[in-house]
Amino acid sequence: MNIQYLFKELYHRRRRTLTAIFSLAVGLAILITINALSMAYNKASRIPLKEIGADITVQRAGNVPEDLTGPVFACSAVTIKNDEIKQIQQLPGIDGFAQALLLWVFDEDRFTIMLGIDGENPVGPGTLRSEVIDGNFFEKGKHQALAEISYARTYNIQTGDQITIAKKTYMISGIVDASRATKIAAANIYLDIDDAQKLARESKQIQAVSPFGTKDANILFIKANSSHIEALTLSIKNILGEKASVATPASFLKSLGSLFALSDKFSLATSLIALIVTILIVLKTMAGNLAERANEIGVLKAVGWSNKNIASQLAGESIIQCLMGGILGLILSFIAASLLGLIQVNIPIPWEMSPTPHFLPGGGDPVFKTLQLPVTISWSLTAFSILLSVVVGAVASYLLSNHISQIKPSEVLRNE
Amino acid sequence: MNDILTATGLNKAFDNLQVVKDVSLTIQKGEFVCLVGKSGSGKTTLLSVLSGLEQPTSGEVTINGTSITNSLENDLALFRRKSIGFVFQSFNLIPTLSAWENVALPLFPVKMDREKRKERAMELLGQMEIDHRAEHRPSALSGGEKQRVAIARALVNYPEIIFADEPTGNLDSETSEAIMNILKHLHKQKGLSILMVSHDQELAASCDRIIHMKDGEVIS
Repeated sequence: MNIQYLFKELYHRRRRTLTAIFSLAVGLAILITINALSMAYNKASRIPLKEIGADITVQRAGNVPEDLTGPVFACSAVTIKNDEIKQIQQLPGIDGFAQALLLWVFDEDRFTIMLGIDGENPVGPGTLRSEVIDGNFFEKGKHQALAEISYARTYNIQTGDQITIAKKTYMISGIVDASRATKIAAANIYLDIDDAQKLARESKQIQAVSPFGTKDANILFIKANSSHIEALTLSIKNILGEKASVATPASFLKSLGSLFALSDKFSLATSLIALIVTILIVLKTMAGNLAERANEIGVLKAVGWSNKNIASQLAGESIIQCLMGGILGLILSFIAASLLGLIQVNIPIPWEMSPTPHFLPGGGDPVFKTLQLPVTISWSLTAFSILLSVVVGAVASYLLSNHISQIKPSEVLRNE
Repeated sequence: MNDILTATGLNKAFDNLQVVKDVSLTIQKGEFVCLVGKSGSGKTTLLSVLSGLEQPTSGEVTINGTSITNSLENDLALFRRKSIGFVFQSFNLIPTLSAWENVALPLFPVKMDREKRKERAMELLGQMEIDHRAEHRPSALSGGEKQRVAIARALVNYPEIIFADEPTGNLDSETSEAIMNILKHLHKQKGLSILMVSHDQELAASCDRIIHMKDGEVIS
């Protein structure tokens, strides 16, 4: 292959070169952008759960509380029995596990959402430890609690204050800004799960609707490898029955509603179409190139170039063009990704995952996690695109090399 | 043996059309032979067969003792690169390459320094008195200049024989004469064997020998 000849061909036949480069660049840019967008929606769908340090949350729907006084369960989160919890914990594929207890507490002067959590557990709401903005995280066994900042402002609660909820008194050890961390299982007061379990056990309203035992809970947080999530979901539903409510990245992806979010198959199909169209355009350009240069190929053969010499020269041109197309396609993709990254998506948080009674102000309002679409082009996608462009060039030239051998110098030179 | 080219019983047919009929001829080393005939007489096809650009339907061609009949295409290409120079009516220069690069074109597949290639090309362009146009592309050259570049390209590999197909066909009379003078000079000074196809009897008259063709046959 003669590099000097190669670059002169590319430079002096600019229209043909640019057509090939731009065709491939646009096709690749579409391919990369669709995949990046699809991955971005997938990534976005993991964020609400990731923020609370889990990949799966589990609840069980139940009956609406009949008497809204004192501690009650929201109808979306009734008792998950201790033996069921143990069964779930033993399922294969679980990397981390935490349980929590969400309570609505109707006192005479206020309504409070309380979440009993295992503060030592890095899975689930224990991650709020890093969101304490004043004071300290509560200490186990000392009847301490954390107040959420907006609730603290509303009721003028400060670190060190004593508050009484459901006739129990807790010392506020600190103020937490949970809004930055999560929209899932958001509460007004966070306390130790043992304290919350005691409240639930002693609540006649809870026991009337959903009997509650010593070690029971009503929300489970599970960390698992993404390859196990689907199987775990099925197993959990088998254990908890048809009223089980299991939230996973896939369920959030569905709630996003985007075409890209709805179906990996759509992304795959669109990518394949873009790829096939790109290859066809490149092949057509190369075939046109070959037809246009039949006379030149005849001359090369006449002056002693072998078919292999000519094929490698044209393959070099083809691969360089495709490589340039690949690089331009990547640049276009990075520009497209930057622009798409400006899009804000609202991920709807199902009411049952952060329930507030409907009759309270804002109780029926939809809750969203708003974030900028995390569109990024990974190194693997970058490497794949460059490799793909080179392969397209190589395949195109290989397919056309047979035509080169069929060009007879005497015929093209006679018909000149 | 003093023959550079020997053809025996050559036939060439395209489907049912017999274009070359039972041609046998010999060209001696250092001979300047002109193949003359009317348009359609089969002279260009015969030139293609004799030079190995085309395989005969039957018969044999030997160049400097090597049979080129029934050789593989790539072997023929290598043989052409080493032993044969071509000059075409339409020059057939590569439009994207400069004059010197066109001259060096047969050397591109050969492992050789770019500088050495250029040196050889420039030497030949100098002989053709066109070295001042070395960096120009064909589109910037006149017809006569293009044909000089083409002749230089034919000489770049020190060929044993040059095949020239109507080398003055696209040139005016003055330029034609200049090109013929170059070919005659190469023949006389360097002892090059040349087989030229032409329909111009006047040009042919200045060659060592004239072979007449009619309807695919050598008639004299």
